[in-house]
Parts: sequence; structure tokens; C-alpha cells
Amino acid sequence: MLRDELRQILEKGLRDVEADWTVPAGIINDPEMHDAERERVFGRSWVFLAHDSEIPERGDYVVRYISEDQFIVCRDEDGEIRGHLNSCRHRGMQVCRAEMGNASHFRCPYHGWTYNNKGSLVGVPAGREAYGNKLDKSLWQLKPVPKLDTYKGLIFGCLDPEAQSLEDYLGDMKFYLDIVLDRSDAGLEVIGAPQRWVVDANWKLGADNFIGDAYHTMMTHRSMVELGLAPPDPKFALYGEHVHTENGHGLGIIGPPPGIPLPEFLGMPENIVEQLQRRLSPEQVEVFRPVAFIHGTVFPNLSIGNFLMSKDHVSPPTSFLTLRLWHPLGPDKMEIMSFFLVEKEAPDWYKEESYQAYVRTFGISGAFEQDDAENWRSITRVLGAQYAKTMELNYQMGRGLYEPDPDWPGPGKAFPMDYAEANQRNFMEYWMQLMVTDPVPHTGNGKVSDGTAAEALARAEA
Amino acid sequence: MTTATEITDTTVREVTEWLFTEAELLDGGKYREWLDLVAEDLSYVVPLRVTREREAETDIVEGMTLMDDDWDSMEMRVLRLETEYAWAEDPPSRSRHFVTNIRVAAGGSADELTVKSNLLLYRTRGDVATFDILSGERHDVLRRVASGYRLAKRVVVLDQTTVMTHNLALIM
Ligand code: FES
Ligand SMILES: [Fe+2]
Repeated sequence: MLRDELRQILEKGLRDVEADWTVPAGIINDPEMHDAERERVFGRSWVFLAHDSEIPERGDYVVRYISEDQFIVCRDEDGEIRGHLNSCRHRGMQVCRAEMGNASHFRCPYHGWTYNNKGSLVGVPAGREAYGNKLDKSLWQLKPVPKLDTYKGLIFGCLDPEAQSLEDYLGDMKFYLDIVLDRSDAGLEVIGAPQRWVVDANWKLGADNFIGDAYHTMMTHRSMVELGLAPPDPKFALYGEHVHTENGHGLGIIGPPPGIPLPEFLGMPENIVEQLQRRLSPEQVEVFRPVAFIHGTVFPNLSIGNFLMSKDHVSPPTSFLTLRLWHPLGPDKMEIMSFFLVEKEAPDWYKEESYQAYVRTFGISGAFEQDDAENWRSITRVLGAQYAKTMELNYQMGRGLYEPDPDWPGPGKAFPMDYAEANQRNFMEYWMQLMVTDPVPHTGNGKVSDGTAAEALARAEA
Repeated sequence: MTTATEITDTTVREVTEWLFTEAELLDGGKYREWLDLVAEDLSYVVPLRVTREREAETDIVEGMTLMDDDWDSMEMRVLRLETEYAWAEDPPSRSRHFVTNIRVAAGGSADELTVKSNLLLYRTRGDVATFDILSGERHDVLRRVASGYRLAKRVVVLDQTTVMTHNLALIM
């Protein structure tokens, strides 16, 4: 149940985002908003869990989260990707306490119930003596993620068994995701493991920043502008497109300013450029050709950064790809999981340069990333207070200045420059809509997925 | 055995003093002076660790790190702090490097020493009443030069997998 007071704030917010292009500050750092958000946003959305390259072999697993629920995401003995709640059916103990590894079985350290990596309960100590052999093990498998599916290597889970399919959920965003995820024959791989760190900030600020905020670069990252790692032209984001789709997704796509000779296709290595021209549609190639920066967010909390940047102030730029998950830990706390990915078939020199550019600019120690965290924690602290919560935040950039771009070759609503806040409004509007829409109660008895991506696909096709 | 690899009391005292001076420079925000204590072939790495079962050979991840700098990128950090716009450290954190358990051993060559030390790094910002603490073990290579020692290599193995501070903007 949503308390009347919250409902009023959100309903007014919905009206305001449409009429005044403002957003209530009270949605950022408020414990009750956070509780409602857990159920209404994270309880219903498709949430990114892992990339399939993180679990390439049978038995490989990682432990990942949807809101507070933790899941073992693994590749079972048959090579199938699965997601099981990391909680024993006897008393609820974690059956897996490592973050990643390889295991055919998970044995509960409390009383020893043992599950295979398909989630089946296969061993109960003293089963004959304790249960008279009457425990029907088939009823006590690990709870699967209600819905699990993959898109071009990304593994998502959803807690709502009635949710629309992942394909439908991603919708038009797939056109843009493919440019990043599907441009090479062998695909991408996550290198190593994600960096994980905790920031005293609300997760929505990360999502909001990546979905459309090219505007902050000139100020937040001014130090890097001065050192030549970010474009010195204060109008650089004019040479870009600002696009959003249904379900709150959106991204910005920025090319070089006129007269700046940057390489095409983010300066990716020749063999990848050759592959992408074959794999992507002519429209996708047209969109991607002039690109130097892609920033975007898949609602709610997965962001993408594909940037052309130097690893220091004396080296030429190389592109890198990072995915980041803004995992909420509370209204005023998130864990950032930052992944670095690279095309499996890229040459070694590129992989090395790309890694260095990423780790020094957008990892936890990165010269860009550092300054973003500083802003988000400051905002969160301020907006947690009583009077500040009553403020309206200004989402009016571009108001009355331009119309959707009729010539844009891609889907979604596109604006012909990236100094806009249409994506952010679209995100916030969708978020507020989810917040005011009461969820359909789940009984927990209905047939849900057995926890495999193939099963979810079969169901979607049926 | 050459005499160069013998670790004398004097060597230990010099190394200890070097580490304490370094800590003082870092906590005092004297990054330019700190850079003078660094060798031009510097390798400065903070590995990424993950929680793994005891039977795993290592919990240090291959291929990815939290920080991986050389001299150029370290100079970039210092140049960045010298601009007026390095917001992550402006106003600066108040930091304190506690350096203990110093162990000095012979290095890979006659002019190098390997030095292990424990590090507790306290960090607080603004008027927020909380603080962050990073704890870890430093594995350094110090090179002897005419004027003293230069840091040629540092690996800082942190004791957290999920790092409990909002960025690694400080030099450890
Ligand atoms: S809680 Fe797992 S066996 Fe008892
Ligand atoms: Fe930023």
C-alpha cells in the first residue's frame, strides 16, 4: 500500500513533469519512497544480473542481486543459464557464500541440504532417520528467479512472473543496444570481474546522469577538459542525438564537433569495424559511424558508457565499453558494479589500451568517475532533509527549443542535440507511473519459470 | 651473496623514514613533491579482489584492477589536482596514512629493495560526521638512487572486495 501522502507527491509529480517539466525532489532520498520503490519498481522491472561471458563453463556461477534478493546465476551441467534464490529451503541459509566460482553442487552449511546447480535438492543428511524417507525432494528445490532471460549476452531477471517478456520490455532500445552488444561475430567478454564500491547516494542519480546528462561534462569534468581528455568545445553535445524509448530507456549519441578529425566507429580496430558493417543494419551503421560517445540507461539501473578517451594526458584516445549497475542499498546508498567489456576478437593491443583507458577514467579510481560520485552523494545528503524534499527540480532543458528529429534513422523519440532532458523526464515519468500503479498481488503458487533462460524463451514463443 | 643485498639496520631505518615522509607528503596534499619520489618507470596497481572459497588458489582477479597507473597517468592525477576543478578532492579529504609492520628484504637487483607494509588509510570529507577506512598491505619496490630512494613499484592489496569509499581519489 502506498501511503496517501506519497501518492499525492507522485501524482503531482506526474502532472508536473508533463506540464512544468519538473520533478519532486522528495523522490530521491526518502525511506518510505525507497520501500515503495523496492516493491513497485524493482519488484516489476527486468534487472541486469550478469553477462554470459562471466559464466562461460558449466558450473560457473556469480552471485547477483535484484533489490535485496540475492541470486546464484549459474551455468548448469547442461550448459543452461539459471538463476536460483541463494537461500536454503530448510531455514533460509545462504547456500553459496562466495561471490563467484565453479560448483556442481551447493551444500548448505547449516544442516547440509545439498542442491545441484539446476537447483534440485539432491541430498538431505540422515534423510531416512530424520524424515522417514518421506521428504519429497522435488518439492524443495531452490526458488528460481521468477523470470530469467538473456538479450545478446546480457542476463536479466525479473521478480514479477506476470511481467512482459524481456524482448518487449527492451523494445526499441534493442536497436541501440545491438550497436554496442552485437557488433562483432564472437561478441563481448567481461574482463576479470566487476569493480564494486559503495557510494552514499541514491541509485537514480547514476541512472539519470547516464541516460542523458551530457550537460554536466563541462563543469563536473572540467579538470579533464583542461587536461585535454574531454572535448574543449563547450557545445560538443550539440553534435549529438538525444533519444528515448518506451519503458523509461534512453541514451545519448555524440559525434565529433565539426572540423575535429576523430576516427569513425569510436576508432574501433579494423577487424571489428569490418564485422559491424556486415552485422548491423544500414540504419545502425549510419547511427554508429560518427560516434565518439554513447551514454545510456536501460530502465531501471543498468547504464552503458561507450567512450573514446585517452588513458592519460599524453596518449591518443582509445574507445572502451563499460556497463554499470546502480544497485540500491537504501534511499541514500548504492553499490556501483562497474564492468569492463571488450570484443573477444579485438587485437591484444586494443584490449590493453582499452582496459587502461577505462580503469583510469571511469573505474572506481577513474578521473571522471570520481567527480560524479562527489556530486551524487552531496545531492543525496541535501535532498534527504525535510524542507529540501518539498522542492521541485528543474527538468526543463530544451523546453520549447526543438522538435523531435524527423530525419533520425533509428527508432524512439530523438532530438537533434544532446543538451536536452527529454530522456531524464521520460525516465522519471515512467518511474513515477510504476510507483503509483498498484501491483497485482502474486500468490506465489502459480507456475513460474524453472529458472532457465530457454524455458522463459519457450514460454514467450508459445 | 653480495653485500648490496644485505639488509642492515641503517637500511631499515632509511626505508622506514622514507615511508613516513611519503605519508606526510600525501596527507599534506603535497602531490608534486610526492611525484619527485617516484621512479619514471613506476607501476602502481591496486588489484581487484573477490570473495572466493578457501580452496580457490587466489582471490585476486586477473585482467582487472581498481587502479593501474604508470608515471604518465600519475602525473595526470597530480596535474588534475592542480586545476581548480578536481571536485572529488576539492575541498580536499582529510586523510591519515597509518603505515606499520614494515618488512624490508632484498629486491630483484642490487639497487632495489622489496618493502612490505600495512596501511590503514582514514578519510573524511566536509562536515559529514562519518569517515571511510581502507586497510591493506602494500608491496613496494624501492630503488636506491644518489639522493635516496624512489618508488618503482607499488601493489596495494586492499582488505575489502566491495570498497567502502565513494572513489579511489587518494594515493595509497
Ligand atoms: S538451513 Fe539449510 S540445511 Fe538447514
Ligand atoms: Fe560524469
